[in-house]
Amino acid sequence: MHVGLSHYLILGSLLFALSVVGIFLNRKNVIILLMAIELMLLAVNTNFIAFSHYLGNPTGQIFVFFILTVAAAESAIGLAILVLLFRNLKTINVDDMDVLKG
Amino acid sequence: MTLLLSFSEIVFYFLAAVLLYAGLRVITTRNPVQAALFLVLAFFTAAGIWMLLQAEFLAITLVLVYVGAVMVLFLFVVMMLDINLDRLREGFWDYFPLAGFVGVLMAIEMVMVLGTRHFGADWVIEPAPHAADYSNTAELGHLLYTDYVLPFELAAVILLVAIIAAIALTMRRRKNSKYTDPAQQVKVKRDDRLRIVKMQADVEQSVGIDGES
Amino acid sequence: MLENYFPILLFIFVGLAIGVLPIALGRIVAPSRPDNEKNSPYECGFEAFEDARMKFDVRYYLVAILFILFDLEIAFLFPWAVVLKDIGMFGYLSMMLFLGILVVGFIYEWMKGALEWE
Repeated sequence: MHVGLSHYLILGSLLFALSVVGIFLNRKNVIILLMAIELMLLAVNTNFIAFSHYLGNPTGQIFVFFILTVAAAESAIGLAILVLLFRNLKTINVDDMDVLKG
Repeated sequence: MTLLLSFSEIVFYFLAAVLLYAGLRVITTRNPVQAALFLVLAFFTAAGIWMLLQAEFLAITLVLVYVGAVMVLFLFVVMMLDINLDRLREGFWDYFPLAGFVGVLMAIEMVMVLGTRHFGADWVIEPAPHAADYSNTAELGHLLYTDYVLPFELAAVILLVAIIAAIALTMRRRKNSKYTDPAQQVKVKRDDRLRIVKMQADVEQSVGIDGES
Repeated sequence: MLENYFPILLFIFVGLAIGVLPIALGRIVAPSRPDNEKNSPYECGFEAFEDARMKFDVRYYLVAILFILFDLEIAFLFPWAVVLKDIGMFGYLSMMLFLGILVVGFIYEWMKGALEWE
């Protein structure tokens, strides 16, 4: 069977579903949660690029470029917050983050 | 021609299998360092898949920015925190039935939507290959710096926010660090260290020459 | 298009072979008779005092973050440099504004002392 657009889309959706399962399983570990979010973004980006290629419209690739930028900034700030949490609480378990007081 | 096509199919299925395996290991492995390394593998194979889709510039950017920088950051953070792994793994498989149900349901729904004739994904035919002098980077550049200038400048603002937020959140001066600034050491003048005091010469009273003491 | 990347594919295979072959050969050829003592961590004849994992300093993290952000800046510079002749003054000025905004961040981190290694 010839590899077409639907192959790439199905690959993206499988990867997305996999990272949703990962968020369920690793609900206590903030680092793995961030990694699962990165996987989700990767799946979404793959969809964008597949459409961009098959519809002959490079705008999708521009979109992916901006997603990459925002995701890098997001993981930088997310990890900064994680480091700060660990410094104050000595844990990264989601269960322990249950007070609003800083 | 048929040989070439079948080769690209082999490459696609191989990369897709590696990508899904790496994703699976990211979410199930016990050690966060291994999870980060499998995420590197996932990014790398995704870059290969993007290469198949002729998004060459983005594939290189993915390797450069994500494998080269973001994953290094993840590894640093994993190494920086000494985490009690056993507590984090408590009840790891508790929600697996629910998670598996949701995940499989999502996958089946998407495959059903994408696989039907009504979605029309199969009607889209493979576009003609680009000419030999086609440059993916140049095409992106033409779009990015004309039609998408405002999002581009917004990206700069987002990066600025990220720089400032990261520094403001994690920077702290050590209070007890014994830090010397070489520039200040070199710049020191005589007057900073030495104080010459004018004072009256004391005349010692001549008591007890005979040696009372 | 794909056939242009054939050398890179070959390169990946050769690189993989160079990395994997010695390890695999070592596994297959070398004798392996592990026992409890051999597998225990060795620390000058003592029992190991502490875990071998050391915590990294947070300052590495700051340097890594700044590296990411400037890495992205470079990623934006590449397509700009390729099409600079076609986009003219407008494109040139838009990149200068981009760089100017990021220089603000650079000045901030310099003034804040994030680059100092005290």
